[in-house]
Amino acid sequence: MYRRGVSWLPGTSDGPDSFASAFALRPNLETAWRAFATLFWERELVPPRLLELCRLQLGRLHGAELPDLCDAMRAARAARDPAWNEAIDHWWENPAFDPTEQACLRFAEQFALDPKQIGDADAAAVVAALGDAGTVAFVEALAILDGFSRFARLFAGEDAR
Amino acid sequence: MIAPRVKPPETTSPDPIQASPLALQPELLQAFLRLYGTLWSHGEVDQAAKELARVRNARLVDCPICKAIRFAGARREGLTEETLDLVHDDWRKGPLGAREKAVLGLVDGMVGDSGALDEAARQALLAHFTPAQVVELAAGVALFMGFSKIAVALGGLPDEIPVHEQPTPVVPPAS
Repeated sequence: MYRRGVSWLPGTSDGPDSFASAFALRPNLETAWRAFATLFWERELVPPRLLELCRLQLGRLHGAELPDLCDAMRAARAARDPAWNEAIDHWWENPAFDPTEQACLRFAEQFALDPKQIGDADAAAVVAALGDAGTVAFVEALAILDGFSRFARLFAGEDAR
Repeated sequence: MIAPRVKPPETTSPDPIQASPLALQPELLQAFLRLYGTLWSHGEVDQAAKELARVRNARLVDCPICKAIRFAGARREGLTEETLDLVHDDWRKGPLGAREKAVLGLVDGMVGDSGALDEAARQALLAHFTPAQVVELAAGVALFMGFSKIAVALGGLPDEIPVHEQPTPVVPPAS
């Protein structure tokens, strides 16, 4: 198995990727975090295609992507359309993404950059598509994707930029 | 005030979390409370350092509730309002200690620059924290940021909330 640590963080020599190598230094925290973060994919609390679009978009925004944590995430990544990599550069006008996906991508981008800029109409479009409980799951998924894409960037070093 | 985006659950619970929109996803809420309790009460980093990071993030994201809360454990460790008053945008020029500035440098790098941290900021962290503690602080910042953004994005909060103390989060009993 390919293993690598974090160049600037002593003691991180094992793990399938630098994210896992770093988090392995705090095992009880990693276990509790993983139990939370994988629920979105394992329970399909948010449509998997939508989660993957947001994982891709926020990963591109931050320069590092949340790695796969469970089989459901690996399956969701495998199901990605390769055309997304270019199409997502113009997600707001690209017919590859339906109106719900465009509304959620707009919300995701604003969430990551400045959530105070999310307008009522933008939020209403997401709630109309996902419902109240689905919207709560969606914003919690965004919190994980946004926060831990940044965590991945922090511990990836220069190779992720 | 940002208008509430979703309708909170109907409940008579006096617990503000159980009355919040987060309770619309009970399994997620329980998993999050276990995670947050683990971070705060089963960590390797002192609570004052984590509280410093949490408050800096709250002010960067401008989350009314996160800015108002003070966790009791950090206060018990000696973190004062006078120190927190120094956690503003010009903190680098102020009299905070090198350890506190290393924490704030991490927060600013993660929240303001996508997790990019220059070599000086990395070395400042490692001068005051073990590698495991750095990971815990970084995971904490990611969670503080994510959940303060949730509070802002879901709306329904007043613009100003008085500063008040809350118990330090603990891992809830299994339901």
